[in-house]
Amino acid sequence: MSLQHYLVISSILFSLGIFAVLTRKNAISILMGIELILNSCNLNFVAFSRFITPAESIVGSEVFRFDGQIIAIFGIVLAAAEAAVFLAIILAIYREFGSIRPDEVDTLKG
Amino acid sequence: MVVSLISIILLAPLASFAIFALLGLAKRNFPRQDYLSTFAMLVALGCSLYLIQEVVSDPKPLTVEWLSLGSVTFSMGFYLDSVTVIMLIVVTLVSSLVHIFSIGYMHGDPRYPRFFAFLSLFSFSMLFLVVSDNLLGIYIGWELVGLCSYLLIGFWFEKDSAANACKKAFLTTRVGDVGMFIGMMMLFAEFKTLSLYGDNGIFDAVTTLESGQIAGLSIAGILIFCGAVGKSAQVPLHTWLPDAMEGPTPVSALIHAATMVAAGVYLVARMFPILTPTSSLVIAYVGGITALVAATIAIVRFDIKRVLAYSTVSQLGYMMLAIGAGSYVAGLFHLTTHAFFKALLFLGSGSVIHAFHAMHAHHDDEHTDDAEHEHDDHSLVHEHGSEIPPDQDMRNMGGLRKKMPWTFGTMLVATLSISGVPFVFSGFWSKDKILAGVLGRAMEWNSVHHYILFSMALIAAGITAFYMFRLIFMTFFGEPRNQEMHNMAHESPWVMTVPLIILAALSFPIVNTGWFNKDYVKPPEQHHVSAPQHAYVSPDTKTADANFGFSLFGTSEAEAAEEDGGNGTTYTDDAHYAVHKLAHNIAMVLSICVAGLGILLSWMFYQRRTFSAEGVATTFRPVYNLFWNKYYFDEFYDGVLVALTVWKSRLFAKFDLSFIDGIVNGVGKVTRDIFAAFIGFFDNRVVDGLVNRVAEVTWAAGGRIRKIQTGAIQTYLFVVLGGIVLIILIFRLF
Repeated sequence: MSLQHYLVISSILFSLGIFAVLTRKNAISILMGIELILNSCNLNFVAFSRFITPAESIVGSEVFRFDGQIIAIFGIVLAAAEAAVFLAIILAIYREFGSIRPDEVDTLKG
Repeated sequence: MVVSLISIILLAPLASFAIFALLGLAKRNFPRQDYLSTFAMLVALGCSLYLIQEVVSDPKPLTVEWLSLGSVTFSMGFYLDSVTVIMLIVVTLVSSLVHIFSIGYMHGDPRYPRFFAFLSLFSFSMLFLVVSDNLLGIYIGWELVGLCSYLLIGFWFEKDSAANACKKAFLTTRVGDVGMFIGMMMLFAEFKTLSLYGDNGIFDAVTTLESGQIAGLSIAGILIFCGAVGKSAQVPLHTWLPDAMEGPTPVSALIHAATMVAAGVYLVARMFPILTPTSSLVIAYVGGITALVAATIAIVRFDIKRVLAYSTVSQLGYMMLAIGAGSYVAGLFHLTTHAFFKALLFLGSGSVIHAFHAMHAHHDDEHTDDAEHEHDDHSLVHEHGSEIPPDQDMRNMGGLRKKMPWTFGTMLVATLSISGVPFVFSGFWSKDKILAGVLGRAMEWNSVHHYILFSMALIAAGITAFYMFRLIFMTFFGEPRNQEMHNMAHESPWVMTVPLIILAALSFPIVNTGWFNKDYVKPPEQHHVSAPQHAYVSPDTKTADANFGFSLFGTSEAEAAEEDGGNGTTYTDDAHYAVHKLAHNIAMVLSICVAGLGILLSWMFYQRRTFSAEGVATTFRPVYNLFWNKYYFDEFYDGVLVALTVWKSRLFAKFDLSFIDGIVNGVGKVTRDIFAAFIGFFDNRVVDGLVNRVAEVTWAAGGRIRKIQTGAIQTYLFVVLGGIVLIILIFRLF
């Protein structure tokens, strides 16, 4: 499996995430879309880290560097935190508006 | 030594006043202010007497610099010569006696301490005026005595008449003071100093004036004399002095007889060196007219104090006449003798009034049934708004001789003195000296002016004798006209009679002519008297010397002086001396004659009643009316000057209302109707329009642009995505 396969899958995930964010009428679905986007990014990080090793590491010894993987773990943690905040916001919006459809929450409309 | 003595003389009364003032600020009353003030005056009197021996032949001003303005420096200082010393003694002596008299007279007055404090302040001011060596100091003292006069005339300010009188006195003298100030400024502009003595003083500088500048000097002299006209109550500013009798009688004696009113004479005497023949003549004529006018008015007064007031005016005119005619020494001599006998007369009248004082309560019906009151047609309202107080009305008096022997005796002495009864009374000597001086001048120069002045003085002397004896006869002789008041009358306590007796003693020449001993008072040089008049001053000194000793036979002293030959310097000219000796003898005979005639007529009218005063008054009704109404001076001032001032004020008020206000209102109208309208239009249309257009454009733009803000979060995201895609495309393509 080469780097291109990973990137293709990552692109598909990202596009699906974007599609979900832009089209779904339910805030929870939008959250899911965002999670897809984040995970596509994480996949990219890991893939690049695995296939494109920094130059000085190659010259020195047979030591792997895990920079991309570590960033991916950070991204997962961030996604978890983000989900918590997002769900809290959605709860607050529901209490306020009685709905979680983003097109109905338009108080800032000009 | 001299400086410290003068300082004590000045500071003693000032300290007395300051204590009163400070306690007054602390809301405390010092009940023994009378003793304090009297003591202060006695200290000043002692120092003044001691100063007699300090007088040096060539006095120098003792000055300090007081104020520097640019290149001009005003100095303050003392000048001590024989005239100063004599004035100091006169002021302190009369003031002390008046203080003592007031302890009795003012007893029980609710503002008793204040009265003495004011007397102290007055004494300080007067002494300051006397010792000043410069016009500025004299002017300061001058205004201060004017203030004290105002305060003391209005001492019983509850009375409307007193309140009006003090205002009248203050304002009338102010008229003269303005002239005096202008005169001072003229001298200042010319000489750049107000100091009189010393190397750069006015009297020094005046010697260098050229003949072309004499006219200006004459005007300055006459203007300064204007101040004296106001202060010394000369015609036409004399009307305030009779009204000033509303003040307490000791005040009349001190301020309005002996000292303050004499300040004018003193000022003219001080300014003697700058007097030119023209200004001298003006002074002499004003004095002569005053002497005559006031004497004739005095004949018909019934208020005892008003008679004395007009007498004072008349005598002051006499002094002015003397100094104006060049008889410097005679004028000052008459000033001192007059100070004593007139103070005595006033204090005596005060004693009489005091005796009647208890009658204040029930006098109302005394007045109307008066036998002599046959002039109902000229109501007494002419006595400036007030009737004569019954305790001052001579028609209520009569026969007081036995009731008040001391008062009678001392007043008789003063009357004999002022009337010019020969030889044993000082008034005769001083008056005779004035007459002799004027007649001598007239004969020497063959001057019509001086003959006229001499006859004025002579007539005034006769009238003086007449009205003074009228006063004595009406008050002390005859039958009591008002029995009820007569019964109440009593002799005054000793604090009041003792000053009278001392003053009476001073009316004898043996006591006071010694001051005018030969060489003690010397007239200063007048530099602008041209050559033939150079003897102008000197022979006068000689007659002065000749006539001052005490002698039962006046001429023998003159002869003794003749042997002395005078100072043997400028006037050994026998011709001059002979003329003056002749003039002196003529004047003496004439003055004795007119005095005798006056007394005789007075006796026949008021004692023996050979003639009826009422009958004469009826016969010469117009003349009587003229005298009774005081030559209509007050009516003239009320009718012309006051009316003119009021009219002028109304005119100005109208001018203000119509013209000034018109301009202001017009400008306001133009501003409001034209400028304001234009500016309002500009504001409404242009400025507001601009602002509104901007606002409308913004509003419209906002209305369009806000549509972009849909509020739908997915729209935003779509736009963001589109933007990113667009950016990527742009970067990929270009």
